[in-house]
Amino acid sequence: MVAFRSSDTSARPTGLLLRCILFALLALGLMIFDKRYDHLGKIRRALSIVAYPAQVAVASPFEGWAWLRESLSTREALRADKARLEEELRVAQFRLQRFEALEAETRRLRALRDNTAGVGARFLVGNVMDVDLDAFRERVLVDKGAHDGVYVGQAVLDSGGVFGQVARVGEMTSEVILISDAAHAIPVQDNRNGLRTIAVGTGDVGHIKLPYISTAADIVKGDLLVTSGLGGGFPAGYPVGMVTEVKRDPAQSLADVEVSPAAALDRAQELLFVWPSAGAAPAATLTPATTKPATTPPPPHAGEAAKK
Amino acid sequence: MMRTERVRRLPMALSALVALTLAIVPLPDVIDAFRPDFLVLVVFYWSIESPRAGGLTLAFVAGIALDILKGAVLGQHALALTLMAAWATHLRLRLRVFSVLSQSLTIFALLTGYQFILFWIDGATGNPVTSFGRWLAPVIGALVWPALVGTLSRLHER
Repeated sequence: MVAFRSSDTSARPTGLLLRCILFALLALGLMIFDKRYDHLGKIRRALSIVAYPAQVAVASPFEGWAWLRESLSTREALRADKARLEEELRVAQFRLQRFEALEAETRRLRALRDNTAGVGARFLVGNVMDVDLDAFRERVLVDKGAHDGVYVGQAVLDSGGVFGQVARVGEMTSEVILISDAAHAIPVQDNRNGLRTIAVGTGDVGHIKLPYISTAADIVKGDLLVTSGLGGGFPAGYPVGMVTEVKRDPAQSLADVEVSPAAALDRAQELLFVWPSAGAAPAATLTPATTKPATTPPPPHAGEAAKK
Repeated sequence: MMRTERVRRLPMALSALVALTLAIVPLPDVIDAFRPDFLVLVVFYWSIESPRAGGLTLAFVAGIALDILKGAVLGQHALALTLMAAWATHLRLRLRVFSVLSQSLTIFALLTGYQFILFWIDGATGNPVTSFGRWLAPVIGALVWPALVGTLSRLHER
């Protein structure tokens, strides 16, 4: 059954070792340049244009199927959908009335504290492409790229809350790293009492944790965590997740806090890219030291908060 | 000699393209970890079957394509694939006379080496993958190997 049929049975192709070393050195060189010097950004962007048709080709059967199903759905189903959406819109508008007043108030209060950074202003909707990246990392490919003004480090939300941030930008696509990726951390704040800390991903979708909470800290199951806006990476005040479990071991100085993300990390299709508002203070001027309240113990690594 | 090699490049490129597509087709999360590295297997096949037709170049180009599509450090998959394809080429005369079982075991070793290089570069560049899932791929790949060789050799026989 298993047979190789070629007549090419010479002992070894000439120059195998030489070519192997050559290619290996080339690959090593590429890696070093890519990692250390970041010179390859432009090349990578150009190559991503080449990859785009392949990605679209792979994703399109699935999108086509979704489109077909939608266009074949019955009138009744569409009507039911429309009624439901109208209902949702009404509720949303009702909430928005209150929200606008609150937002104005927040802006005023923030202005008093000389801290207007981090209120998101401009949005762009992107769609998750049905393309599989590495199975062991929490990343997705989105169909908006440098062409649409997306930049590395940009905050990405879904309808539930914070989804992640842009890790790499191509011309037409971008790679978004989820807040549940093991290499991701996000500065957060307990919505109930303002306790500041950092939420770190675990590599498991639907699961993040707070590793820097002391056992004495006031945090309980059910607390809502929102972005604190520190570090300048994420706009302030967007929901990140809900505390699902707090384990305090008296022998340890730090508590084990489990958080379930507010965003639908494994299901979201539409994502929102956020640009900070034009009037906001540039992120660089907002150092954690200037806004740290004296009462809260500073979380370790506060400076590298927004780093991925 | 020259002519037969020229003819062989077409099935080579085609099979590599199909394998590349299979590598990024979305699968449900449950099956995703069990996806064999089709492209790697195809590269191994061609480096054993006809190394003169450019098995190593194919390995390098396929590796770069994987790097771009998977968003890895540029050169990571290229390095791993080149080294392992060279090893496969080195072993190819022995592989031909091996039984199916020994062939699969050799492929298992090659795939493990490939995963190890990826794992090592992941660690060196500061995003280690800690899950054990990736070590499953060599086992799956070795299991798939006989079927893949059967299909590919029948295809380019015609």
